[in-house]
Amino acid sequence: MDRDLRLTAVGRRYGIRGPWVLRGVDLVVAPGTLTRIEGTNGSGKSTLLRLLARLDAPSEGRISGRPRTAYVPERFPSALPFTAAGCLTHLGTVHGLGREAAARAADTWLERLGAGAYAGTPMARLSKGSSQKVTVAQALLADPELLVLDEAWTGLDAAARTELERAVAERTAAGGAVVFVDHDPCRLAGTPDAVYTVTDGGLRRRTDPPGAPSGPVTVVTVRAAPGGRLPPDAVRIAVSAEETAPGRRRLAVPASHSDTVLRALLTARPPWHVVSVEPPSHDPQHPDPGSRP
Amino acid sequence: MTAPLRYQADLLLRSQRWLPPVILYAAFLGVGVQSGQPVLGSLGYTAAGLLPVAAWLVRICVTAEPPAARACVAAARGPARAHLACLLTALLVAVLLGLVATVVVTLISDPMSDGHRVPVPRLRAAAAGLPAALVCALLGTAVGALTSRPVLRSRGRAVPALLLGALLAVVSAGSPAQAAVSALVTGSRTGRAPVPLLPPAGAVLLTAAAFAAAGRLVARRSP
Repeated sequence: MDRDLRLTAVGRRYGIRGPWVLRGVDLVVAPGTLTRIEGTNGSGKSTLLRLLARLDAPSEGRISGRPRTAYVPERFPSALPFTAAGCLTHLGTVHGLGREAAARAADTWLERLGAGAYAGTPMARLSKGSSQKVTVAQALLADPELLVLDEAWTGLDAAARTELERAVAERTAAGGAVVFVDHDPCRLAGTPDAVYTVTDGGLRRRTDPPGAPSGPVTVVTVRAAPGGRLPPDAVRIAVSAEETAPGRRRLAVPASHSDTVLRALLTARPPWHVVSVEPPSHDPQHPDPGSRP
Repeated sequence: MTAPLRYQADLLLRSQRWLPPVILYAAFLGVGVQSGQPVLGSLGYTAAGLLPVAAWLVRICVTAEPPAARACVAAARGPARAHLACLLTALLVAVLLGLVATVVVTLISDPMSDGHRVPVPRLRAAAAGLPAALVCALLGTAVGALTSRPVLRSRGRAVPALLLGALLAVVSAGSPAQAAVSALVTGSRTGRAPVPLLPPAGAVLLTAAAFAAAGRLVARRSP
């Protein structure tokens, strides 16, 4: 099974004589990478994501590779005649899980996204944000090899937004590829392996280090066992890793990826000892860390 | 393939959109079939009426799912398979409906030919009627597949095309459905009830071709 998704000179237009929405797009999405797609409204971002999710066939060019894909559309309809949990169980089996595993995963993900209380609520009665949580959950149920997020964060509350960022970090750490579009420039800032801009129907890789703000950073101080080396995952994700004393490192990691880095450090052979973890100073989740019990 | 099928079947069942075509079919049979009429003629009527109902069921299955939910399923299974699940669900429901209608009509009808001349055993009649119903269910879903998304996307064109296609499939010479239905009607006159073989084979091939064509088109013409 080819897990690399490869677009070669891909173009897409709607209708036989319609204008080209995208043309000459070359893109490789490798396992374990996080890719951000940027562009103005109507530039063709969603079209590109639909091509990547293999929902649409290219009008010209070739797409090869067929990873197990999950897709989060911009809006999810509440017009489905199921309860939230029932809908997720169905979609979980469609994603290849057994019925029981799907039901369990549905519960887990609704709980993680803070919608556990709505498991038995009919989709038609869910709020916009809650039905968006169902959409996000369906994509994460079966640990997809490729996760395509089309403004998946829109409409989620702050806790669910953070949880989705964490889920993305987990997916990439587990070897899955994630491609996302989001209008917030701080979304997962500093962590994408590649950022592409869709302009004039073409795709351009943004190579310049983004002057844009690098999102909230968690500072992790760790001590090595004798002869310990930083695990490659931690090195890749960390924004900086200064050696404060012999065998002692101070890692600045994007807040969304702190769990992933800690897991990598603690499961390294030999494991690292975590001395301290300082939450980001401007974490929207905890605006005032000092007042917490 | 069972997971998307179960999902689609549950979606159809819970959406209750299957009610109008099923009620219409029941009304059609209620008007045209009376107990004590010659069995083969009634079975021909039953089969012919099933064809537009099957086409309508396809239209319901293909349009019921909101586009975003469809995209989620298509990402997981591929758009062609997701679409195939819709078509197969409609086909299964149509076959089930045809089966029930054929059994009921066989039981309430008179096991004789026209004019009470030649006896037609009920089992023999059912053996001729069931394949005819199957042919009509198959061709109806084929017509439905070729006259709804992704082939025809505007409702203004799709609905007239569906009605015209269903009518042509029932009446035009050379159509397996016409062959199967007219074999029953002729059989009712002569009292002989041959089990049709060629029409089901033709219907299976035509329907498979229609499903394949719709499946190939679905990724090219979305959303």
